Parts: sequence; C-alpha cells; structure tokens
Amino acid sequence: MKSRMKFLSVIMLAVVLVLSACGNGSAESDYPSKNVEIVAPATPGGGWDATARALQNVLDKEGLVEQNMNVVNKPGGGGEVGWQYLKGKDSHSLSINSSLVIANNLLGQSDLTYEDFTPLAVLATEWISVAVPSDSDIEDGVDMLERLKEDPKSLKIAVGPALGNNDHLSFVRVADEYGVDVSQLEFMIYESGGDVLTALLGGHVDVATLSISESLEQHLSGNLDIIATTADEPIPEDESIESWQDQGIDFTFPHWRGIMGPPDMTEEEIAYWDETFSEMVESEEWQKVLDNNGWQDYYMNSEETKAFLDEQNEMYEDLMKTAGLTE
Amino acid sequence: MGVDWNSFLEGFTTAMSFQNLIFIIIGGLLGTVVGMLPGLGPATAVAVLIPITFGMDSTSALILLGAIYYGAMYGGSRSSILINTPGDGSAIAATFDGYPMTRKGQAGQALTLATLASLIGGFVAIIGFVFLAKPLAGFALQFGPAEYFFLLVFTLSAVVSLSKGNMIKGFVSMVLGLLITTIGVDSQSGVYRYTFDIPHLSEGIDFLVVIIGIYAVGEVLYNILLIKDEDQRIKDDVGKTWITKEQWTRSFWPMIRQAPVGFLVGILPGAGGSIASMISYSTEQQLSKKSDEFGKGAPEGVAAPESSNNAAAVGAFIPLLTMGIPGSGTTAVILGALIMLGLQPGPMLFQNQPDVAWTFINSLFIGNIVLVIMNILLIGFLIKILKTPPHILYPIILVLAFIGTYTLGYSIIDFFILVIFGIIGLFMKILNIPTAPLILAVIIGHQMEQNYRMASVSYDGLWAMITASPIAILFAVLTVASVFLPAFFSRLSRVKFDNKG
Amino acid sequence: MEIIRFIVPSIILLISVIYLILTFNLPESKVGNPTAAMNYPLLIGFSLLGLSILYILSEIKDRKKIFDAYKIFSDRELTIKVIIVLVLCLGYTFIFERIGFLISTILFLGALLFLINGRRKWLMNIIVTILFSFISWYTFAELLSVSLP
Repeated sequence: MKSRMKFLSVIMLAVVLVLSACGNGSAESDYPSKNVEIVAPATPGGGWDATARALQNVLDKEGLVEQNMNVVNKPGGGGEVGWQYLKGKDSHSLSINSSLVIANNLLGQSDLTYEDFTPLAVLATEWISVAVPSDSDIEDGVDMLERLKEDPKSLKIAVGPALGNNDHLSFVRVADEYGVDVSQLEFMIYESGGDVLTALLGGHVDVATLSISESLEQHLSGNLDIIATTADEPIPEDESIESWQDQGIDFTFPHWRGIMGPPDMTEEEIAYWDETFSEMVESEEWQKVLDNNGWQDYYMNSEETKAFLDEQNEMYEDLMKTAGLTE
Repeated sequence: MGVDWNSFLEGFTTAMSFQNLIFIIIGGLLGTVVGMLPGLGPATAVAVLIPITFGMDSTSALILLGAIYYGAMYGGSRSSILINTPGDGSAIAATFDGYPMTRKGQAGQALTLATLASLIGGFVAIIGFVFLAKPLAGFALQFGPAEYFFLLVFTLSAVVSLSKGNMIKGFVSMVLGLLITTIGVDSQSGVYRYTFDIPHLSEGIDFLVVIIGIYAVGEVLYNILLIKDEDQRIKDDVGKTWITKEQWTRSFWPMIRQAPVGFLVGILPGAGGSIASMISYSTEQQLSKKSDEFGKGAPEGVAAPESSNNAAAVGAFIPLLTMGIPGSGTTAVILGALIMLGLQPGPMLFQNQPDVAWTFINSLFIGNIVLVIMNILLIGFLIKILKTPPHILYPIILVLAFIGTYTLGYSIIDFFILVIFGIIGLFMKILNIPTAPLILAVIIGHQMEQNYRMASVSYDGLWAMITASPIAILFAVLTVASVFLPAFFSRLSRVKFDNKG
Repeated sequence: MEIIRFIVPSIILLISVIYLILTFNLPESKVGNPTAAMNYPLLIGFSLLGLSILYILSEIKDRKKIFDAYKIFSDRELTIKVIIVLVLCLGYTFIFERIGFLISTILFLGALLFLINGRRKWLMNIIVTILFSFISWYTFAELLSVSLP
C-alpha cells in the first residue's frame, strides 16, 4: 500500500513537473533543448578556459540553465581554431571571445570576422597598466611619454605574449596620441605576463605594459610602480594609482571578454541568453569570480554588444595602422 | 630571511590533519596515474584535475594540486623506465639509463632507484626552500635575455657532447630540433613562419607531440619490426625490487650533488625540469669514472636526473609563492587555479597568509614521503605491465599515444605530426642518430631564439652579450668547456694509454 | 658501396635546401628590423646544409665498412606490417573526429590487435579492445573531463 502511494506521488510529481516545464517552455520556446557547449578557444588553464569554466560553474550553481553545460577546448591560432569550429555548430554551442575576434582578421591572420557570429554579451573587462621598477626615475605616465617623444628608442618596453594584443596596442595608441613616433618604439615580447613581470623586476626592461591583475600585487608590495592605467574608474585596492585620464590624457582601453554564438541564431535564442546573462551578472557567485580574477563588470546585452563591436572594429583598424602592423 | 618557526610548525600540524593527509594521498595517486600516461605530464595532469578543487578551501586545494604535481613528476619516470616513453620533458633523461636497466632485467631496481632519487632531490630542495626562498627569488631576477641565452646554449652543448664519437649525428639531430621550433609565429616580429596557413601551426609544434612521436610511436614501430614468432619479451626476471648496495653507493653522491643543481635551475622562470635533468645527466657522465656505462644502464644515470628534476619541481614554486610569477607551465596552471579559488600568490602571501604558505611547504614534505611509500608499493604492480605480451602492449601504447596527443591540442593535425615523428624516430633509432639533442632543442629552441633576439636589442654584438654579467660569462665558459673538454680528456687518456702500450 | 647509406643524409640535405628557400621567401617584418625574423632561420638552414654535407662525407669515408642498418627491413612480412600500422594510424586520424572517440578507437585498436596479435587469439583481442576503449574513454571523458569527440 505504502509503496503504491509512493509510486503515485512520484507520478503526480512528474506530471506536475512536465506540465510546468511545458508552461514555461511554450512561452519562451523550448530552447535550449539539449546540452549546451561552451567553446574555450584555448588549452585548459588559460584565461579563456578560466572564463568558460567560471561561466559554466556560475550558470550551473545558480540554476540559470536547465540543460547540462560542457566546456570544450579548441586551442590554436589565437582563437581561430575554436571559432572556426563554432561557425559550423548549431545554437547550442557558444564561445568565449575577446578583441582578438576583431584583431585576427585585421591582422590578416584569419578570414573570420566578428560579423560571422552572433554577439551575445560582453561579460567583463580588465584594465591595462603601465609599470616601471620601483627605483626607476620615471615619475608618471606623462613623464614617460615625454621621454619617448624625445627619443622613441630610449626605453625598452616589455609586452607579452604577442604583438598586436591589447597590452601592446593600448600602449601604441596612447603614445601615438601624445605624438610619439610609434614605429620606432622598442618592444620586447615575452612568452607570458609572468615573464614580463620578471623582466621588469629584474631591471632588464625599463617599462612594461600588462594587465592590472598581473601588476597590482607587485605594486602594493612596493616592487614596482604603476604609473598609468587605461581604466575609467579608480582602482579600489589603491585609489592613488592614476589613470591616463587622471593625468589629463583622454584615453581609456578595456581588455574585455565576451561570449558569442554561431551565425544565424533566432530572436528567441538571443533573448534567452540576454535574460540568462543579465541575471547571471547580478549573482553573488559571478561577483566572486570577478573579484578573484581581478576583472570588472562590463556587462552589455546582445544589442549593445553588437554596437560595441562595430565601434571596436573601427578603432582597431586605425590602431593597427598606427602600430605599423597593417598598411 | 629568518624562518618563521611558529608558522612552520603550525603549517606542519595543518598539513598533518587527517583531511589534508587524505588529499595528499588522493592527489599523489591521481598524479602518479595520470603522469604515467604518455604525453600527460604534470601540467596536463594539474589542468585536467583542477575541477576537483572547486568548492574546497584554498589551503586544501593548494595541497591537493601540489600533490598532483608531485605525483605526476614521480609517475613520469615510470613510463620512461618501463616502456621508454617519457610522459613529459623532465622525464626524458630517465629513458637514457632507465630503459636499458629494464632491458637488463632490472626494471624493479630502476624504479626504486628513481623513486629514492626523487625523494632525496625533493628533500634537499624543500630544505633549500625553507631557508633560501626569499634570497633566491632575487637570484632568478638576475637572469635577463643574455643570461638565459647562454644558459640554454650551455644546456644544448652539454647534451650534444653526450653523443661521443658521433658528433655529426648529434649536431644534425640538434639542428633539426631547432628547425622545428622556428615553425609558428615569431614573437618578436609577429611574422608567420612555415605555417602554410594552418592556424593550428601558428603556435608551433608542441614539443610533447614530438616526444610522444619519437619515443612512443617510434619505439612501437621499431619493436614491431623485431617481433618474431616466439615472445620476444624484455626479460622475465623483473622481480627484484630492492636495489643492490653497489647501485646505492654509485648513486648516492650523484643524487645529493645534483639536487641543488636542479633546485637552482628550477627557480629560473621558464627553465625547469627538462633542462635541470639534462644538465645533471651530462655533468654526471663527465664526472663519472665509468662514463662508458652511461646509456647502458648505469644506476647513477637514473638517479642523477631524477633527483634533479624533482628538486627543480620544488624550486619552481619559489617564484610562484614569493613573487606570484609562475616558473613553469605547471606552476602557471596552478597559479590560474589558485586565482580562481581566491588565493593570490605573490609577495604578500607570506605576510598575509603565512599559514597557507607554510602548510603547503610542509605538505610537499609529507607528500614526498607518502609518494615514495606509494610508489614502492606500486612497483610490484607496475612491472606486471612488462609481463603483458608485447603483442598486446604495443597496440595499447600506440592508442595511448594518440589520446595523449589529442589532449595536448585537441586537434587531429597533431596526429599527422605524431605519425611523422614516429617515422622519424624509427629511422633515427635504426641509424643510431641520438634523439636527445633533437628533443631538447625542440623544448628550448624557441626560448633560445627569442632570448637571443631580445639580447641583441639590448647589447651590441656577441661580445657585449657575453660580458653582460658574471652569470653570462659563467655559462659561456661552461659551454666552451662542455664541448671541448671531453675531447681534450679523451685525447689525454689516449695518450696515456699509448704510453703504456 | 651501397647507395642506401646515403638516403637519409640526402633527405636531410633536401630538407635544408627547402627550408632555406622557404626562409628567403619569408615576409618582411613590419615592426623593427625587417629581416629580424629571417636571420636565425638562415643560420639554422645553413648549419643544417653544412652538417648534411659533412654527414654525406662521413658516409663516403665509411664506405668500406658494412652498412647493415636497414637489414631490419629484410623480413618482408614485418615491414609490411609496419606499413599497415602506419596506414591504420592515418585512417584513425581521419575517422577520429568524424565518428567519435569510442567507435574509432575500437576499430583502430581492434585492427591493430588482429594485425599484430594474430587472428588465432581473437577472443583476447576483442576483450582487450572493448575493455581498453571503454576504460580509456571513461577515464578521460568522465573522470578527467577532457573533451573527446
């Protein structure tokens, strides 16, 4: 008798669940209808992989996506391999992206453009810092630009891990706006942000451009000085750090990360993700992810993201020319 | 820096807590198992196992990751010794004499020796860590492009000089390795070199694919050629686990003196276990009175590099924990994991969270002991692998090689590269061309070029580069010595011999 | 004098020549010194060229010595086996991402075992194939969450 009751109640519960699911579903269509795949166009352990796994973790913990989510690693070609893969998938695959989705094409390294995909959101940003060793006689950002203006080869500048990345380009842009002959600048390209730090701390270079999350610890402990940032707001850990804006140069530069889907996603599918992501970025779990990684919230919904990408594309086009990377 | 003994003891008790002890054992075991698979070295082992740490408190997570890293270092030499297939760059040197020992029916002894050497290397390095972490962190900063360049040149020359009487083939092998590393985008200029518009090639060829191809695939192909109807097993007698007194006395000093070498090399960002173990192997060969036995199963040829690479693994934690700078691929992955857990390793770590740091150091200590016990217990089980008929073992190794390769780049382009290097490996073996110079060149070639390029921006010409600092001079001199001294000594001994005769 | 002893040295010579040609055709660097990206490869290319010539010379010097390295290929049956193994490897490469890890691995490992272990031990072959494929799939895909196709 007892077991039958149990059985019945299970059936009832199941029916209720199915009905409620249908009720929800029919209003917003039944997307996603199968496992969702988040493509990290990088190997496990890298920044893109971290973003993808954090996203998967938060969406799962907050119960925002009912379907299972898997992270798929497709490293190679600065995102190219992963994005080529995404292009051939249906709307149950999404990929992490960054400004490289624009830059690769402009640099002639990829046939894919950002317009080949459906932009879904910009999620977070990091700001970029310019740092000098603590015993350096360079006082601030403007002082450094002044020296470079006089002799572009007078300072060795460390950047990593590749030319044409945001650390490099943001430096070129601000220098160019100040009137420095940027084609003469001497960049040293290191394998990673860690190597850039080592080179700077060891005094093997004069200046380094790297993300704030990489330089802040050393700044706080007095091993180096951050002389400028590309941020549009004070850095909470040390409000005395001056941005370029604080030094009278109207310049900000986000190093953002976002997410996009394959081409031709439907309105409903886009709306689904707008709702999901806007809810996610409000959650405490996501806030924790941002804090741990030293990222700032930079959320934009799909429409804003599209406009933002157009704007970024134009900016990068100019920038590459200035940096001498394209003709 | 005075050692903060209070925090040290506190860390010791935390690390000894039941929960953390369990994590050390689990992590060590997982690491050992993953590390044994071809291609899955410490970096991959840690990366794929990171999700386990989600939701753990940061100290336990750090302990677990450390144990996985360590376990993988121990595990890496297992497959080198048993099936001549290193799991990672730092385990290559273990194939030089470890595999010949296996062929002689001394597999169990080789494994024990490698385990003990790892323990000693680890211990010496941990003691070094406790007392010298802060000052040595500064030492690593002394290495600019010129210093790195000469360190790398020295490493290469030390390895090429191993191929005695076969110098041309040794150099051919090395230059081929360097050639491979020029594939991909050139960091300093952004120029794409020899990528044939294949995006996957823009980041170059992963050295692990080359290692798996040449060792695992090449070895299997070679052995298939040798299969005859009767079971051509290595030797049935693999039972002896404990080492002989002679093996111990021959290995003892090499283990002790190579540990500091490995430790110092490990501290240098970007250098790490592969370079440490190669330098240790070649210096021991040159120091040894029985250098003829190297490559034919000399016990010290197993002990020296194993002690050294384990010490390097500890050394690599110094820049990570004291400066927040990862010194190797694996520590970079660990750094990423720690950041996700909300722990920021760096100059502030020892001040703000000394308990975390010291607990971790103690866990390395305990972890080493646990791993030695575990590995010695495993030996009996592991050598059973050798009793598997080769007819079954070889196909399985081949499949594992493919899976391992896939996990490196998630691309089937690597499969082609794997097969090509398998064929290259086969012919190198047939023609007696040494493979170590090629492998080492593939591992360090890119770094060497980039450092040379940066150095040539900083200094005018080679002479200015050499005289950049005492460290650069030291390595330049060592390079010259390692190439010419062996020739000099052998001539000298020949002269003596002639006189006698 | 056996000609075959010159095969590999000649291939290396050929590689160095091709490599040098490719190097001379590298695009110029847009930042800094335009030929910066070429210099180091040129050094390597010429070193390899020189070394391969030395290698050939050393083989000429040794021409009186017996050259039996390729004797290993004398057993035709085994040589054919190795070639089949290589073909199977390529086959595996082509089907790996198309039909997924599990099926392709079962096919590949099964074929290898039947080739090397012989048809007589078919039961053993099948058991090893199935067991190993499933265990490795489970370990990698489930326990280590490595994304396999």
